[in-house]
Amino acid sequence: MDTIRLYFRSMKMLLRSHLQYPASFILQLCSQAVMLGGELLAVLLIIDRFDSLNQWSGGDLLFFFGVMSVTFYIMECFARGVTSFGPLVQKGTLDIFLLRPRGVLTQVICYQLDPRRLTAILVGVAAMVMGGRQSNVTWTALKALALAEAIVFGGLVVLGLFFIEAMFSVRSVKSIEVVNALTYGGRSACQYPIDIYPEPLKILFTAVAPFALTIHLPVSYILGKNLFGWPDAAAFLCPLAGGAFFLIMYVLLQFALRYYRSTGS
Amino acid sequence: MIKSYFSAFRMRWKMETQYRGAALGGILCQIFFGLILVALYRALYAGRPQTLPLSAVVSYVWIQQCCFRIVTSAESGILDSVMTGQIAYELCRPLNLYGYYFVRDMAYKIVGCGMRAFPMLVFAILLPEGWGISAPASLPGFVLMLLALFLGLLCACALDNICMAATMKTLDNRGVASMLNLLALSLSGNILPLTLFPDSWQKVITLLPYAQMLDAPIRLYTGEWAVAAAPRVLLVQGVWAVLLIAFGAFLWRQNLRRVIVQGG
Repeated sequence: MDTIRLYFRSMKMLLRSHLQYPASFILQLCSQAVMLGGELLAVLLIIDRFDSLNQWSGGDLLFFFGVMSVTFYIMECFARGVTSFGPLVQKGTLDIFLLRPRGVLTQVICYQLDPRRLTAILVGVAAMVMGGRQSNVTWTALKALALAEAIVFGGLVVLGLFFIEAMFSVRSVKSIEVVNALTYGGRSACQYPIDIYPEPLKILFTAVAPFALTIHLPVSYILGKNLFGWPDAAAFLCPLAGGAFFLIMYVLLQFALRYYRSTGS
Repeated sequence: MIKSYFSAFRMRWKMETQYRGAALGGILCQIFFGLILVALYRALYAGRPQTLPLSAVVSYVWIQQCCFRIVTSAESGILDSVMTGQIAYELCRPLNLYGYYFVRDMAYKIVGCGMRAFPMLVFAILLPEGWGISAPASLPGFVLMLLALFLGLLCACALDNICMAATMKTLDNRGVASMLNLLALSLSGNILPLTLFPDSWQKVITLLPYAQMLDAPIRLYTGEWAVAAAPRVLLVQGVWAVLLIAFGAFLWRQNLRRVIVQGG
């Protein structure tokens, strides 16, 4: 409870520090909107040219894009600190964190907030609303639950991927771009439903970084389609895999931190 | 004069070739993105074939991924230089600062691109039919593409320097400059090949400076623009290169006239 209060206090302070430079802040908000807007434009143009993709209509594709973006950018906004493990290790700032009477992870998460991403989240929400309308989604309580699960557990997968990056930077000091491929590549790839990809990519994003289980299954349920031919209950049970993925990465990160050696500068 | 630009270029060249490990990570990352995009376009084409052949789109994706470094700018040096007061020393040098930063940027792009492009091209050639890059449409087309690539590089560096001039003025590289950068990603065909934009848009988009960087060379490579059309393409590129360099140099002259030296 105390930790949560600490988190909110840090976020409030960080937000205020960002708002100290209003002009710069507004421009950054705009640039984030331009960034995701550019990707949204690409999806819209693809729909314009190709109409549909396998069993998915244009509206479905927009909805997938929206849910993935919202999930990813919520994490980038509120858990940004985890991605700054690399610089923390390089500068030796992590030493200070180890001395304080709080968990390292709590402090790292409280260390940064990226409110610029708010506009990216909004663009994602807009894509979701547009897609839902075009695909005539009729909302029920169960569908709302499925959406909540997709965003929460999908977010945990993203956080788990950030943890892998953190582990690499603790072990090898330099942050490794290969892990980036999984995080950002995963985001790009899983903006589209998994069943359009060849087998190796399907396995990668189902069994390794389970975006297919956490996001694509519940979203297909919302859209009234069946992704893998599994019963409806799977749409509610499979996202839990995201929680398992997160826990494994959490334990591994704790383990990696035990072998942390300061750069001492 | 030319000699000093050349040595600035060489210095940067040497610096960039130091980070071979990082380049390897970058290559793997870029290959992975390339594979994802190719898989996506293959799935899209399976549903609804287009007049533009799939092989042209796949080649487009691979060349974009190989030359990714030409589009993105990584020069935050000018901001540091102004913020720390380093600019005062740079102004003392008997050099045109615009030219100095221009060649530095060019070295960054050529090295970054070269180190990544060759291994990636080998990989893209070895990939099975339909996944990898296809051979150029014709030999003259290939030679013209190299020429177009050079003109595209000039345009890219000139655009970067205009961004730098904006950064110098606002002392913030995240606002205007980053927006211009993000615009570049969409309009240069990095996110979605310009060849897949609606046909009516293409008439305008291909004339914009962003399309000169990679889109024009790629179209010459895939033969979408015939060899006969090449003089017109190269002329458009050349005109943009001259205009952008002139505009950038003008902005720099304006900025340097009243630069504030900070730091101590």
